[in-house]
Amino acid sequence: MNLLEIRNIHKEYYKGDKSAIIVLSNINFSVKKGECFIIIGPNGSGKTTLLKLIGLLELPTFGQILYNNKNLINISRKEKVNYRRKFSFVRQKPVVRNTSVFNNIAYGLKVRGMRSIDYQEEVNEIIQFSGLKGMEKKNARSLSGGEMQRVAIAMNFVISPELYLLDEVSANLDSMNLKLLDDFIMRIKQDKEKTIIMSTHDPLEAIKYADRIAVLNNGQITQIGRPNEIFTAPKDEFTALFVGYENILYGLAELDKATGLSQIKINDLIITAASQQEGEVKVCIRPESIGIAKEPPKNTSYRNTFKGFIENIRELGNICHLIVRCQSEKFLITITELSRKNLKLEIDSEVFINFKATDVKIL
Amino acid sequence: MPNEIIEGILEAIRLIFTFDPEVWGVIEVSFRVSLTSTFLAALVALPIGSFIGLRKFKGKNEITNLINTFMGFPPVVMGLLIYLLLSRNGPFGELGLLYSTSAMIIAQFLLAIPIIMGTAKAAIESVDPILKETVLSLGANERQLWWELIKHSKKSIIAGFLVAFGQAISEVGAVIIVGGNIRWETRTFTTSIVLQTRMGEFGMAIALGVILISITFIVNYGLTRLQARVD
Repeated sequence: MNLLEIRNIHKEYYKGDKSAIIVLSNINFSVKKGECFIIIGPNGSGKTTLLKLIGLLELPTFGQILYNNKNLINISRKEKVNYRRKFSFVRQKPVVRNTSVFNNIAYGLKVRGMRSIDYQEEVNEIIQFSGLKGMEKKNARSLSGGEMQRVAIAMNFVISPELYLLDEVSANLDSMNLKLLDDFIMRIKQDKEKTIIMSTHDPLEAIKYADRIAVLNNGQITQIGRPNEIFTAPKDEFTALFVGYENILYGLAELDKATGLSQIKINDLIITAASQQEGEVKVCIRPESIGIAKEPPKNTSYRNTFKGFIENIRELGNICHLIVRCQSEKFLITITELSRKNLKLEIDSEVFINFKATDVKIL
Repeated sequence: MPNEIIEGILEAIRLIFTFDPEVWGVIEVSFRVSLTSTFLAALVALPIGSFIGLRKFKGKNEITNLINTFMGFPPVVMGLLIYLLLSRNGPFGELGLLYSTSAMIIAQFLLAIPIIMGTAKAAIESVDPILKETVLSLGANERQLWWELIKHSKKSIIAGFLVAFGQAISEVGAVIIVGGNIRWETRTFTTSIVLQTRMGEFGMAIALGVILISITFIVNYGLTRLQARVD
């Protein structure tokens, strides 16, 4: 069953001269319980507004937002507070209250009527997890941007909502804080009762976390699908340009003790990657990193070489896209039109593709 | 003229330190009336003003315009209206409040309300909207949000009290009409200065002026210190 259903949402703002700016139009999608749904789009595409509408912080001009089949538009103020308490909303630029770190993090529990002695342990646990130990008594406003973002994340996670709304939370974070955010998101993703709706303009982040991705451009959703669909079969030029092309494969990684590299089994293929990861992984290879030849390569440094045939060719001016099938998997490869002609590559040509272990990105 | 100013200042010092009963009576009446009226106005105007600032509703612009208009309401006209209401033939004549400190408190209370209401409303509205959203998204209900915003804008709200008190203590038109400038009873700094000047007692008038300014300075200083402390 769908946890959240967005039906025909439309939002416009009125300028001083009463002319309307359409921010979102004809938005339709649904999110299942336990899913991580990512909205991807450039700045100004309407991601924040969409998340605010879901978080009941703004009203749509028209349309419906259904949560567990209940329409949340036109509910009473009291009901709205009750629903908001099932959600959390973390924003890109956090604002903290002018009080201590501890009080900031405890606020969500306090307004829900919990008593101070009952939430001490929970708050302290999350302070520990967020690496804010020792700063509890500091005024949150005196912290650095990164620390403040950690407080903002912690104060939303401590309330353990059903639905997490994360608005470009990874933007402006340094690597240490990114790692923490990653730990938090992974922790939520493990809990199948928790649902995430997240916006980002970073395609790689979307691949990493998303069960499904919606592409938002200019207030409209242009495509919804699993990450590999979006990246390998973008429906329009905008999506293609925005996400960039990416080969995404799903496999099981095992560490090869002898080489110290991961061997990833993807159906019948085994790909070598310069990584030490194990278990279920997503494998990303950019199309321009893949070389192509008609003869099996001799004596190359490429760790990955596969035999396949060209299934499809898309000509795009000076460059062209080749879809090469190697057993069960398809690879998208970009080469120049000139080299395609030189190599005499046609549909159904038998080819050898190769790429380096270092060009394989594991997410 | 400069001589009279110096004489006035010396007179002021003498009057204060000899505990001149009449001067201390005037101080007492002035402060009792202005503090009471500002305090009562704050009790009424702060909740209403902050509530208007908190919510969006139809007619909000009109109410804002009305409040802003009344912020500059001429005190003399207010005095006249209260006078008409409280005079023996007026609708509230039976209460017998005319020429009493109660009448003065009512007039100053009504003058202070739009000031405190307007500043409280503006203070709440000027809070960063992202903070409002953050507090709401953390699950606060309207009352909890309201309290959070009050705490956040307390500096501006205290500034509103200061303006209202400053206006009340230095106001003359309304209190002279409804209070009647009765010696020992409804005579304040300002009405007293008017009287002394008319009688040519410039020394006394200047003395009262100096005391008024000094005391107002001390009160403001105290409140400003408080304002800095609350942050």
